[in-house]
Amino acid sequence: MKTFLGFGKLVVLVSLFSLTGCGTYNRLVTLEQTVNKKWADVQSVYQRRADLIPNLVSTVAGAANFEKSTLTEVTNARASVGQVKLDPSKAPTDAAELEKFQKAQGQLSNALSRLLVVSENYPQLRATEAFQNLQAQLEGTENRISVERNNFNTAVQEYNTALERFPTNMLNKMFGFKPRPFFTAAAGAEKAPEVKFDFSKPGPTATP
Amino acid sequence: MRNRSWSLVLGASLGFGAWDLELLRPRVLAAALIFSSVFVNRAAAAEVIPPKPPAYFNDYANVVSKEKARALNEKLAQFERDTSNQVVVAVFRKMESDSDVAGYTQRIAQSWKVGQAEKRNGAVLFVFIDDRKMFIQVGYGLEGALPDVTAFDITERHVKPRFRAGDYANGLEEGIELILKAIRGEYKGDGATAQEKQRTPGASSGCGPLGFLVMLIIVLGIIRLGRRKGGYGYTGLGGPFISSGWGSGWSSSSSSSSSGGGFSGFSGGGGSFGGGGAGSSW
Repeated sequence: MKTFLGFGKLVVLVSLFSLTGCGTYNRLVTLEQTVNKKWADVQSVYQRRADLIPNLVSTVAGAANFEKSTLTEVTNARASVGQVKLDPSKAPTDAAELEKFQKAQGQLSNALSRLLVVSENYPQLRATEAFQNLQAQLEGTENRISVERNNFNTAVQEYNTALERFPTNMLNKMFGFKPRPFFTAAAGAEKAPEVKFDFSKPGPTATP
Repeated sequence: MRNRSWSLVLGASLGFGAWDLELLRPRVLAAALIFSSVFVNRAAAAEVIPPKPPAYFNDYANVVSKEKARALNEKLAQFERDTSNQVVVAVFRKMESDSDVAGYTQRIAQSWKVGQAEKRNGAVLFVFIDDRKMFIQVGYGLEGALPDVTAFDITERHVKPRFRAGDYANGLEEGIELILKAIRGEYKGDGATAQEKQRTPGASSGCGPLGFLVMLIIVLGIIRLGRRKGGYGYTGLGGPFISSGWGSGWSSSSSSSSSGGGFSGFSGGGGSFGGGGAGSSW
């Protein structure tokens, strides 16, 4: 009985396959690989940012009485980012998983942007070449993150759309293809640290 | 994924063409539309990506003399022949985007495909005179030779002081010089630019035959429309539209002038950009 059922399934599959053609299947495989590749790119730019942080923290900490709380915040956010590790070679299929990742990274973004804002109160620090270079690197990393995230979303869009197409959508469950979640633009949390400074706000500490 | 191995065998044995019925599905169409409006237009609201430039050095803002622009253009063309690196300079009056300069210029550089396809060795120096902003976009393949810190050093400590003094010509020249210095030696050239290798006679700024056809249809449509309305617009629209190919505000007047021999035109080799580079405001 079991073999009969398996055979029936095979017949359905063959007829469906003859309907869609193998090109569709191969296309899905390619698209899925692109999604995974783009995911790896996203991971590597986030990693790049995480790698910059120890350097940033030590440079800033060297400045005379730099506000401790902002530094701690960055260090903590960096640590919690390290805890949300996702497989860098395979894009997540679980939307909640991606959201957790995104939230942790978003907190780090916020902490970093706050640090840059606070650093405005330390003109001596900002005048140093070391700090300026670090800031340029940090900005470059944020730019790369936004580019790679966009590329990832585009790849996911293409893949998900292909999955939904008729008659592929009847096959994808059998083949185990799953739609992938996107990065979303959460209000505020996902904004890259902007280097616009609002001088009207009272600074936490006076200029040293 | 579990059934992939035997389905592959099936796939190989049944070589049928794919049916493309997806366009008949309104749900997919709607989803795609919603997606594109959310993810593409979100960052780029009211954004204009300028068309591919005709030259290496493009002064759309007229801040550099013709002779200087020409000399810099030839220098950049020769640099591609020598090293295969494509370095393009584009000086605009102002940004046509609400997003930040880094994101905007990345999208422009990407759409221009500056750099060779496999090496991805392109770099573009963008300058927006009225916005007092500049940015060096660095292609993936040059991120090692021209890291963000170097790009920042060039714009912040070398070009910016000259721009502040209003000396655009020398600021641009020094910026170009330093970019070339940083990336020389990264790749080897083969003595020809991407455009020279294409060998297409009368190539009009990278516009393929299909693009030409589309343009032709649009132009013909406009002509017909104009005629129906009583003939005005026939010469007004048809003439310059065909000759410039794109028109509408981006027409360059000084740098792309091809009077005299030896002008080297630019066409992108297929490079890509991942947001590397840095910029300054002055």
